[in-house]
Amino acid sequence: MATIKIDGREIPFEQGDTIIRAAHRAGIDIPHYCWHPGLSVAANCRMCLVEVLPPPGRPAMQLDILRWDAKKGDYVPARKPKLVPACQQGCTPGMEVLSSTSEHVEEARSAVQELLLLNHPVDCPICDQAGECRLQDYWLEHQRTGKRMQQEVVHKPKAVVFGPTIVYDAERCIICTRCVRFCEEVVQDPVLSVRERGNLNEIVVSPGKQLDHDYTLMTEHVCPVGALTSVDFRFKARVWFLRSARTVCQGCATGCNAYLDYDPRNNTPYRHRPRDNEHVNKYWMCDEGMLSYKRAVENRLTSALVGGEDATIEDALDAVKEQLAGFGDDASRVAIVLSAQHSNEDNYALLTLTRTFVGAKNLYVSGRPLGRGDKILMSEDKNPNTRGVMQLAGSMAPKPIAALLDAVKAGKYSFVIALGSELEVDEKEALGVLSKLKGLVTIASHDGPLVRAAHVALPAAAWAETDGTYVNRQGLAQRSEPALRPRGDATPGWDLVTRVGKKLGYAMTFKSLSDVRRALSAETRTDGGANGAARTDADRAATKPEVSA
Amino acid sequence: MIKRTAQTTWTKPAGGPVTGKPIARPNRTAEVQAYFPEFVRGLAVSMRHFFKNTKEMMLGQKPDPVLESLEEGVTTICYPEERRPYPERFRGIHRLTLRDDGSPRCVACLCCSTACPAQCISIEAAEYPPGDSKRGYERYPKTFVIDELRCIFCGFCVEACPCDAIRMDTGIHAVPYDSRDQFIYRKDLLMEFSGRDGSRKSANPRHEPGDPTHPGLSRDHMEH
Repeated sequence: MATIKIDGREIPFEQGDTIIRAAHRAGIDIPHYCWHPGLSVAANCRMCLVEVLPPPGRPAMQLDILRWDAKKGDYVPARKPKLVPACQQGCTPGMEVLSSTSEHVEEARSAVQELLLLNHPVDCPICDQAGECRLQDYWLEHQRTGKRMQQEVVHKPKAVVFGPTIVYDAERCIICTRCVRFCEEVVQDPVLSVRERGNLNEIVVSPGKQLDHDYTLMTEHVCPVGALTSVDFRFKARVWFLRSARTVCQGCATGCNAYLDYDPRNNTPYRHRPRDNEHVNKYWMCDEGMLSYKRAVENRLTSALVGGEDATIEDALDAVKEQLAGFGDDASRVAIVLSAQHSNEDNYALLTLTRTFVGAKNLYVSGRPLGRGDKILMSEDKNPNTRGVMQLAGSMAPKPIAALLDAVKAGKYSFVIALGSELEVDEKEALGVLSKLKGLVTIASHDGPLVRAAHVALPAAAWAETDGTYVNRQGLAQRSEPALRPRGDATPGWDLVTRVGKKLGYAMTFKSLSDVRRALSAETRTDGGANGAARTDADRAATKPEVSA
Repeated sequence: MIKRTAQTTWTKPAGGPVTGKPIARPNRTAEVQAYFPEFVRGLAVSMRHFFKNTKEMMLGQKPDPVLESLEEGVTTICYPEERRPYPERFRGIHRLTLRDDGSPRCVACLCCSTACPAQCISIEAAEYPPGDSKRGYERYPKTFVIDELRCIFCGFCVEACPCDAIRMDTGIHAVPYDSRDQFIYRKDLLMEFSGRDGSRKSANPRHEPGDPTHPGLSRDHMEH
C-alpha cells in the first residue's frame, strides 16, 4: 500500500485519501474544527494547516512576508513556505508532511487560534461546551501568544432559537459550517446557511423555516464549539462530572452505537450521543434516539406489584407460585411472551425456562408498535431486539401479540409468563382480553399495558442499568454496557426469570450474567458483538466522556 | 500458652531482673524542706497579675491584643468578649456577591464545586424564566448550598470563580451553632452577607447582562 510520511512517521493511505483522513485513521491528531470524517471538506477553519515538503530536487514554494520583530520593534521581510490545509490536500505516494515538527505550522496554528478567539466572548462558565470545547483544548495546545486585539469584541446575536431543540449563539460560532453541511448532506434538509462576511458572519435559518428535522441534535453534536446548544441539555450538567457508558440506542431496530453520559453521583443520565461505528450508524444518531436516554429513568417499574399493589420481590415470587399453580398438568395452557425490548440474555433465560422446564410450545413476542422510519437511520420497528428474539426462538417462530389475544379470547390459554411491558395493540382491548387469564406474570423494566394487566409484575433493570446484547436489524449483535445503578428493587431480567423458575420448582442454573452468556453463545454462536471484551466497573469509572472527531 | 514477643530494646527482658543505676536523691536543704517561702513567692506572682489586670481593667489600659500576642510568654484574651483582629487576608465564611439589580453574580458554572477539595458546595443550575432580560444566555444557581462543617476554608472556590461571585471576605468565622443544619448555608443567606467593609457589591465590575453597558440581545425571537 502506498504511504505518506507525517513527521517522519510512515503511514499508509487509500486512494483518494486526504492527509488528515490518513492521519486520523493512523491515530495521528492534526488539529481541526471544520473537518469531520462524515462530511464534505470545507477547509475554512485553517486549523489543520501543514507543511508539505517539495519533491526531491525541487525548491519549496516560498512566500514573501513581513514578520514582526519584537527586538527591532518593526516588521522585517522574511520568507515562509506555503502551507496547505491537511483536510483538503490529497495524498500522493512518498509525500512528506510536517505537522507538529514544523515551526511554520506551529506559528500558523497559533495565529489561527488567536484569530478565532479575537471576537469570542470566552463565556466558558456559562457555555455548555466547556470541558469538551475545541477552542479550549487547542488554545491550550497551540496558542502561544495572548490576544493582541485590545478593542471591544464584535457582538453578535445571542440565544437565537433555531427550532424546538436548538439554541444558537453567534458570538461563540467560528463558522466552521459543520452544521450547515450536516443538514445539507446527511439530512438533505438545507435549512441552515451563513450570512454576512468576515467578523460579522453568522449561521441563520432559512426565512420562514426552522431547524426541526429528525436530526437537529446532531447539528449540536457536530458543533466543535458551544455555538449550538440543545435545549434538552442546556445548563443541566457540567460535562466533567459525567461518565460515559458504551450503550446501544434503544429507540429503534437500527441499534445505533451511543455513549450514555451519566452522573454517577446522583445516578442520573444526562444525554445520549453517537459513538462512531462505520457499519451501523457511522457518526450519527437521530433526535428520537438521542432523547431516548430519558426512558432509562422515566416511567420505571421500581418495585414488584402483586395485583397492582407494591410488594417485596420475595412476596411477589410467592404470589407467582400461587398464580401459576396448576399449569403443571398441561403445558399447552401456558403462553410465553418474549420481549423485543429486552436483551438477548433476558429472552434467553425465559426461553430456557420455557423449553427445558415448562414445556410450553407457544411463543409470542411483545414490543412497541411500529413508528416512523426514514432512509438515513430510523427504523419503523421501534424495538431494539426484534431480530435477536427471532434468532433465539429459531424454529419456534414467535407470533405477534394480536394472535395471543385472539387465542386468549378463544380460551386456549389460562396462564401467561411474559417479559416486557409494551403491547403494540390497543391497551383497553388488551386489558379486557387479558383479564380472562388465571395467571399473568410479567417481568418488566417499565410501566406499561402488560404490567397493568399482570397479576404479578416483577421489576427488571432497565437497559441502562444492566449489561445486555441486542441484535439490530442487520443482524449485528451489539453489547450495551450498564451506566446507572438499578433503581428501586430492580434486578436484571434474566435473574428474575431464574428466580421465578426456581420458585416454580425447576433447576434453573444461571447464577451470573456470564453463565447466561456462556449458555447463549454455546447455542447461537453470537458472542460479545462489536464492543469486544467486557470492561470492569473501575475501568469504566475512570473513563472520561470521549469526544469524537 | 503465653505468646512470646520478640525482644526489642523497648521491652523488658523476659524473666531477668531489672537492672539500673541508682540515682542519688537531692539534698533536702532547709530551703527545700521549708516550703513556706516558695508558697509566698507563688502567691506574689498571682497577686502581681491580679493587681495588674485589675488596674488595667479599671483604667482601660489593656494592651493591644495583637502586639501583646507578639510578646514572650503566655498571653490570653477573654474570647469571645475580646477578639484579636483578623488579618486582611483572613478567609471567613463565604458570601455571594450581587449585581446592581440584586441578582447573584454566580452563573452556576460549578467551577467552585469542582475545585472544592472538601466537596462542600452543591449547586443546581437553572435558566432564567421567560421574559427575563438574561433569559437565553445566562444561567443562575437555583440552589447554592455550602456545608460549612465540611468546608476547610482553603479558598479554592474563590480562586476558581471566574465571575468573582463567591468570596470569603466577610471577616466572620464559622459561628458555633448547636445543630448541624445550621451550618448548611443556602443561597439566600450567602447573598445576605456583606464584605468586611459592609458593601455587598463586587469590586470587579464588568458588562453584566442587564447593565446598560452590556450589548445584550439583538434579536427578539428568544423564546424557547
